[in-house]
Amino acid sequence: MSLLRHVRRLNALQGLQHCRRDVSSAPAKSATLKYDQDPQPLFTDAETQRLLESMTQLQLDKVFRKRTVKDNRSETKFMTNEQLEQEFLMTIEKAKHLLKMPPIVKIKQDTERPIAKDPALKDFATTKYVFTDITFGLPHSERKVVVRETDGTLAYASLDIIKRMNQLYFPLEGRKSYTPRMFAYEELLHKCLEEHKYEFVLDRLTVQYEPYETEFHNLSARVFEHLNESKQFDLLRSTRHFGPMAFFYAWHRCIDDLLYDMIRRDYLHNAVELIALTYKIHKIPVEYRETLAKLQALHPSPAESALSELQGFLRRPEEKQGIEQEIHTAIGKTEQDFAADDISLKFIEEYIASEHSLKKVQLELAVQTLKEINLEKLQLFQGLKKAHGVQAS
Amino acid sequence: MNQASLRTICLTWRASLLNRNPILSNTQPSFLSNIFLRNTSFFNKLPAEDIWRGVTAVSNAGKKRGRGKGTGKKVAKDLNKGQTIGLGKNNCIWPGLNSPIIRGNELIYQQKLADNLDRENGIFKLRDSLSNFRMVKLNSIDRGWSGSKMPGRSIGPPDTVGEEEFSSFDTRVLENKIVFIMKGNMGRKRRYSVLSVTGNGNGLAGFATVKAPEVRTALRKSKNRAGQKLINISLCENRTIYHDFFTGFGKTKIYCFKKPEGHGLICHRAIQTICKVIGIKDIYAKIEGSTNLQHIVKAFIIGLMRQKSYQNIANETNLNIVEQRNARNGYTEIKAIAPMSQVQENNMNAVDIMHFTLGNKIVLKKSATYPFYVNSKGHKLYQIKEERFRNQSNVRLHQLVNFYG
Repeated sequence: MSLLRHVRRLNALQGLQHCRRDVSSAPAKSATLKYDQDPQPLFTDAETQRLLESMTQLQLDKVFRKRTVKDNRSETKFMTNEQLEQEFLMTIEKAKHLLKMPPIVKIKQDTERPIAKDPALKDFATTKYVFTDITFGLPHSERKVVVRETDGTLAYASLDIIKRMNQLYFPLEGRKSYTPRMFAYEELLHKCLEEHKYEFVLDRLTVQYEPYETEFHNLSARVFEHLNESKQFDLLRSTRHFGPMAFFYAWHRCIDDLLYDMIRRDYLHNAVELIALTYKIHKIPVEYRETLAKLQALHPSPAESALSELQGFLRRPEEKQGIEQEIHTAIGKTEQDFAADDISLKFIEEYIASEHSLKKVQLELAVQTLKEINLEKLQLFQGLKKAHGVQAS
Repeated sequence: MNQASLRTICLTWRASLLNRNPILSNTQPSFLSNIFLRNTSFFNKLPAEDIWRGVTAVSNAGKKRGRGKGTGKKVAKDLNKGQTIGLGKNNCIWPGLNSPIIRGNELIYQQKLADNLDRENGIFKLRDSLSNFRMVKLNSIDRGWSGSKMPGRSIGPPDTVGEEEFSSFDTRVLENKIVFIMKGNMGRKRRYSVLSVTGNGNGLAGFATVKAPEVRTALRKSKNRAGQKLINISLCENRTIYHDFFTGFGKTKIYCFKKPEGHGLICHRAIQTICKVIGIKDIYAKIEGSTNLQHIVKAFIIGLMRQKSYQNIANETNLNIVEQRNARNGYTEIKAIAPMSQVQENNMNAVDIMHFTLGNKIVLKKSATYPFYVNSKGHKLYQIKEERFRNQSNVRLHQLVNFYG
């Protein structure tokens, strides 16, 4: 085993030496799970996107958490109520923008596309000539890059060269022209993963590579696999990488750990959505749309709930003082939530009973525990309501 | 070898002087008769004490005029130190003084020995070492603003009063000077005035000016009085002030600005010291006008005390207050909500919170001054030449970081 690791490390070093000259270099270790078909149509589907967004959630404190920045100035402002309302809407828009998921597309294959062969130009120079169209404002995918080989062939440049030229003339902030050490050295990447710096790795991956590159697929798969073992899913919640992660697990039929985490944290509607996504991807004949529609009616979308949370700041203290409101905040759930929980639990139990779930015992236990807690909460809720004489609606 | 030969030459020369040739002395009679000797001067008329006083002390009249600032640096030397009776410039044997008269059966006669130069050098060395005034070496941690002077130095927490302990406090001297007053019978009377500030580094601080005839008493009294005059100053996020403000005392005007984490104390050294004992970590303060220390301290403390809470400002202006931090990606944090009862209108006068808290004052920001050569032809050429190397240092650094080994 140690011999194998040693050989792997040697390979990694060679990979680095190679990458000094070339942009692309395969990372030392590739992931075991790969997308066998093009995942893009299923991923960009509106329903899938809605499910993934809902699973991601929108916790404003997490999205706008304190980070280290070069210039950490702050600005204090006066605002009228209207301006504040406007600001809330903008905050939600900004959060949505920050949570835009990097797309999952299939790996683009490099094809040779010669334009002309001019044997007369053979050995005109000792190096290749690269010609780049540097017109301002062109999308990177449409920029024309051609190469005149030393043997006189004129051909469209390979993907590597196109990426390098784009980076040379229109540099993307944070992207390097060489492979970052983090991705080139196996032990460094391993260290990052062991320290649970998943978001950091994925962020850097998104900046460094295009979604259609092999490295992007390999490395992101590795991160997700590691995450599935360490079970620190909460680290990615409310980040742009949670959606792709859930999609990855659903595609590869290994949702059980994530599901367990969701049940344990009492995110039952998310659990239902995850199961529904699996059914959808693998075309399992179970009717899930009805349950989802019911839940959608009872549950606000993440953006809506975040907005209402923000608007809660503006509410007067006297408005907040309703006794019903107070009971809701004390218990953390409303009647709607209890109703939604019943629907979700039914659906989840059906899934656990089916042949698709792999960790049945664990999941059953989690569901049982949650049920007991919910029952206690419901009794307390009803008792409080009765004691305060609030009419059950 | 060399020394030995030198000594023999000296000895022969001395011998020739002592046993002077009568023929030689006869040839130069005028040479001897022209030597004048003055055997009286202040050196042998006055006692040593009086002579020393002339160098080491200042007269009473001079003292009153402020002369002799360096007194205490020069000390009278004891010239008798290192000397013993019987041993002198001439290395002789004096029977009965520095040697016994009879040794065994032999009578000892007065006898001259070889000169001892080391003895004299030794005495000079001893005298030099006696008078050298040495400044007290301070550890750099204990040092104040400048050298071994008191301002800026810590003098420990105030003394315990009853059961009140000042364990977490630290006192720093801000000013230590001599002041005079006229007294009917005493004339000009000198005292030491000490201004010090004490604080627990967590928003509790006090300052006091105290005069006393001795420095130590003044320091102690000032420290203890500062401990009795504590003021509570609430800190924003436990590190800075709540908002920018303007404050003044006499001709001193201070503009203080709230700063983000990690900015540090960018201000006058007195304000820095006060901030340290209060517990303020990030601030920028600009003093305009007089830099009288007492006024700076008073103005700054008054400014701190006059700060308004966000809610108070919101109530005054009937506007909400929000803070947008770059570190949180511009997220709008609500600091205070306006009282809803009144109708809100966009009051254009109070739109900028900085104008509001500075009392509609605007700080003059001087435009940058450029060196004289900026528009010269040579500098333009230099810039053109240098342009292609402008990223070189970054590239080198990257190479070092990423491709070492």
